[in-house]
Amino acid sequence: MNAVTLPLTAPNRASGESLWHKAARKFGRDRLGMLALGVVLAYFLVALGAWLGWWAGGWADLTGTKWEPVSSAHWFGTNIIGQDIFDRAVFSTATAFEVGLSVALAATFIGAVFGAFAGFFVGSWIDEFLLWCMGVLDAIPFYLFVAAVAYALTDNPWAMQVAMIATFWVGTGRLIRGEVIKLRGMEYVEAAHSIGVSELAIIFRHILPNTGHILLVQASITFVSAIKAEVILSFLGLGIKDGMSWGLMIDESTKEVLAGFYNNFLAASLLMFGLVMAFNAVADALQDALDPRKVG
Amino acid sequence: MAGDAGRPVLKVRDLTVEFATEDGVIRAVDSVSFDVLPNETLGLVGESGCGKTVTGLAMLRLIPMPPGRIASGSIELDGRDLVPLPNRDLEDLRGRDISMIFQEPMTALNPVFTIGNQMTDVLCRHRDLTRRQARPVAAELLAKVGIPEPADRLEDYPHQLSGGMRQRVMIAMALSCNPKLLIADEPTTALDVTTQAQVLEQFRVLQAEFRMAVVLVTHDLGVVAETCQRALVMYCGSIVESGTTADLFSRPRHPYTAGLLASIPRLRSERLAELPVIPGRVPDLLNLPAGCRFADRCPRVQERCRAERPVLTGRDSGVACHFPL
Amino acid sequence: MEILQYALRKLLAGLPLIFGVTLVSFALMVYFGPDMTYQLLGKNPTPEQILEVRHQLGYDQPFLQRYLGFLREIVTFNFGESSTGEPVTALLAKTIPVSLILILPGFILGHVVGLLLALAAAYWRGRWPDKLIMAIAVIGMSVSFLIVIIGFQIVLSSSDGLDLFPVRGWNASSLGSYLSYVTVPTLATMFVALGYDTRFYRSVIVEEMTRDHVRTARAFGLPESRILLRNILKNCLIPFITRVMFSIPQVAIGGALLIESYFGIPGIGKATYEAIVTGDQPVLKAVVSLTAILFVLVVILNDVLYRVVDPRVTLK
Ligand SMILES: Nc1ncnc2c1ncn2[C@@H]1O[C@H](COP(=O)(O)OP(=O)(O)OP(=O)(O)O)[C@@H](O)[C@H]1O
Ligand code: SF4
Ligand SMILES: [Mg+2]
Repeated sequence: MNAVTLPLTAPNRASGESLWHKAARKFGRDRLGMLALGVVLAYFLVALGAWLGWWAGGWADLTGTKWEPVSSAHWFGTNIIGQDIFDRAVFSTATAFEVGLSVALAATFIGAVFGAFAGFFVGSWIDEFLLWCMGVLDAIPFYLFVAAVAYALTDNPWAMQVAMIATFWVGTGRLIRGEVIKLRGMEYVEAAHSIGVSELAIIFRHILPNTGHILLVQASITFVSAIKAEVILSFLGLGIKDGMSWGLMIDESTKEVLAGFYNNFLAASLLMFGLVMAFNAVADALQDALDPRKVG
Repeated sequence: MAGDAGRPVLKVRDLTVEFATEDGVIRAVDSVSFDVLPNETLGLVGESGCGKTVTGLAMLRLIPMPPGRIASGSIELDGRDLVPLPNRDLEDLRGRDISMIFQEPMTALNPVFTIGNQMTDVLCRHRDLTRRQARPVAAELLAKVGIPEPADRLEDYPHQLSGGMRQRVMIAMALSCNPKLLIADEPTTALDVTTQAQVLEQFRVLQAEFRMAVVLVTHDLGVVAETCQRALVMYCGSIVESGTTADLFSRPRHPYTAGLLASIPRLRSERLAELPVIPGRVPDLLNLPAGCRFADRCPRVQERCRAERPVLTGRDSGVACHFPL
Repeated sequence: MEILQYALRKLLAGLPLIFGVTLVSFALMVYFGPDMTYQLLGKNPTPEQILEVRHQLGYDQPFLQRYLGFLREIVTFNFGESSTGEPVTALLAKTIPVSLILILPGFILGHVVGLLLALAAAYWRGRWPDKLIMAIAVIGMSVSFLIVIIGFQIVLSSSDGLDLFPVRGWNASSLGSYLSYVTVPTLATMFVALGYDTRFYRSVIVEEMTRDHVRTARAFGLPESRILLRNILKNCLIPFITRVMFSIPQVAIGGALLIESYFGIPGIGKATYEAIVTGDQPVLKAVVSLTAILFVLVVILNDVLYRVVDPRVTLK
């Protein structure tokens, strides 16, 4: 079977090379998108440094006294027990990428696989079952679900991520299902069928690669959702267990802002806002660049 | 008015319409000039994609902007240039002085409003009528275009009517304010053969009754022969030949026109959905040849054709070819 | 009559969904949820006491039996007493109205203002008002709900800010105090919804603007503003309704949960959250079933509304 070589590419899409080239060219011309991408990369470097221990290693140390103001020693001041807020905010950037990337990759992968199966076997019991799963997950309000998962997996450090992945794949799954239903009717897929390529190979080698443009955009949207959800879950006590995150900082700050101390709150929210905003802008620019219908 | 029988209702000069696409600027209509005389039916023929619809839309300044724009030229309706006209004045004029019937009857009507609702909208917009007064007028118009039980049809939604019925509704709407000029963009192409014949027949009767000028866009040379006094042949955004129908059919001068005529089937009963096939392909609008755009398909092509672009020799009767027949 | 029949059919069709929602939620929250045994016992319990409590809580029964018991409770709408001793129905009756008047203003305002902004953006499509509104929408999308809540609280309620409203808590005994307590949560709810909703509404409207029938309306001289507000808007209603309808369960539970926990408001969201934390099974069961029922109601209402706004839809 592997000996069969046919031009099994999608006609205009996977002359795909050119779609991606074209998209890259278009993205390159999108000044706002490029700027946003630059910002995201800068954040990523900050995170990388934190992972490698170049900086922010002392985020948990008591290096000052309670609520010190901004100074050259503590760029963002110190928190209620005297920890350096700058270090904590920088370290949290790394956490944000950990959460965002793990959730985005896993949820997009699951969404792609389940969506592709549902779409390829549209109308069959596989499709019915997957649709039912998606419907059920949609019907349970997100925070209720996350809370439930978090408590069911009380001692598991990944409880929050598991809960997010379990819900966030649904959106991608639906989109991919729709796209695959379109693709499976195309000639190159039927050609592959007719020469006996196995269904799994068709799905994974010939169909899924042609949904790459959707997956890329969905992954960046999921990344943003994950970072935003982390903040709320940390406040509800369902978030990051050990380590530091913007959500934990903001949770910490809820007690401080009422006492008139805003550094913790501002540091975490502004840093988070910058990353989420930049990522949203990148997602928009990607969508524009990859949308074959969009003109100009 | 009566004394002006010879004065054109519409004068189009050097009209150029461009679309900005991802791959570059497309010139969908390129320096087109023509006149439309009172009460005449002017045919506009050409292959798919040659710019007929865009030309028609430009007459009402309905080109979607962006991506489109009228790059140059003038469109004079009764001596008034529409190109620089502000939107408000255009809105007064559309549907009252100049109307358009669209190619796709299935989607041209709003699916969530009744036929009556949509017709009275137009009537109340341009004629001094209340909605209640407009309804019998609308019913009367539907009767004129041959729709049975018109009062009942006013209550229907578009999806309850057949394609032919919907196109008749469009025609009724277009006629409702007695326009001076009607642009009919392939009014029958989307319909089945019998319905086509009926709608066209109705159309001719109505034109005589309403005494208006018509620009009839069509694929079908047969329709041109039966309906139009004059015709323009378009190719790749430009007019390649113009003249009276009689001249065009008996003595075509442009090789393209000749090719179209030669491939008409003898049997008039088979109306054509597409123009007859001429070998070769229309050039890409993004990548037009320097000389004559028909050169790659032309049996009479010579060196000069590829170097130099021929110009139309006359507006009302002319040909754009270095070596006409 | 026709609608009633239809609703019944739809309810039957919704059964698998109700089954799934209750099953998943039951498994997660009740079966794998926190074990309450030791919190109910004194120090150094005897093994008999442990068994006794576990029996009372139903922990000794197999999954299926407990789940079936749960389904029976849903059908009879009898969830027993919460672990605080209060009947669950009384708890619901007390908390749900609070959540309703808390969440509703922000929910409605968010959608209305979002729609108005989207209409303005679509009307001036591609020009500066559009760009400004869309830029603000992206900013709105990039701020976390919690940050918005805290931000509004600092600006509007704290002594460093305008100090106009109470910092937290709830009192709806009079209209005046209701308004003073509801304003900050309402603004926060509205603001958070605005970013996403404005973008959604605009994209639907702009998509609809490219339809042939819009070109027809223009060709007959109907004014642009009227085309937008009447011809286009009516065609957008189906996606709009879907959006509003399906955000109801999310906002009713999710939004309430966060706002009520933060401001300490005694609504159903806070009660749910506390039930999750303490493993208060009867309350959780009630909330889960209410959620499932709410969802199916939303689905039915959604379809009925489709039928009202779009003549092409039949209740089949
Ligand atoms: N909105 C648009 N954006 C970009 N290009 C367009 C647009 N509308 C039309 N065009 C281009 O203008 C050219 C002329 O199109 P037009 O619709 O006028 O053709 P036509 O002669 O009416 O063809 P048909 O017989 O198929 O209706 C086409 O090549 C088309 O690609
Ligand atoms: S100019 Fe030349 S190529 Fe063009 S139509 Fe005439 S003869 Fe043919
Ligand atoms: Mg056309």
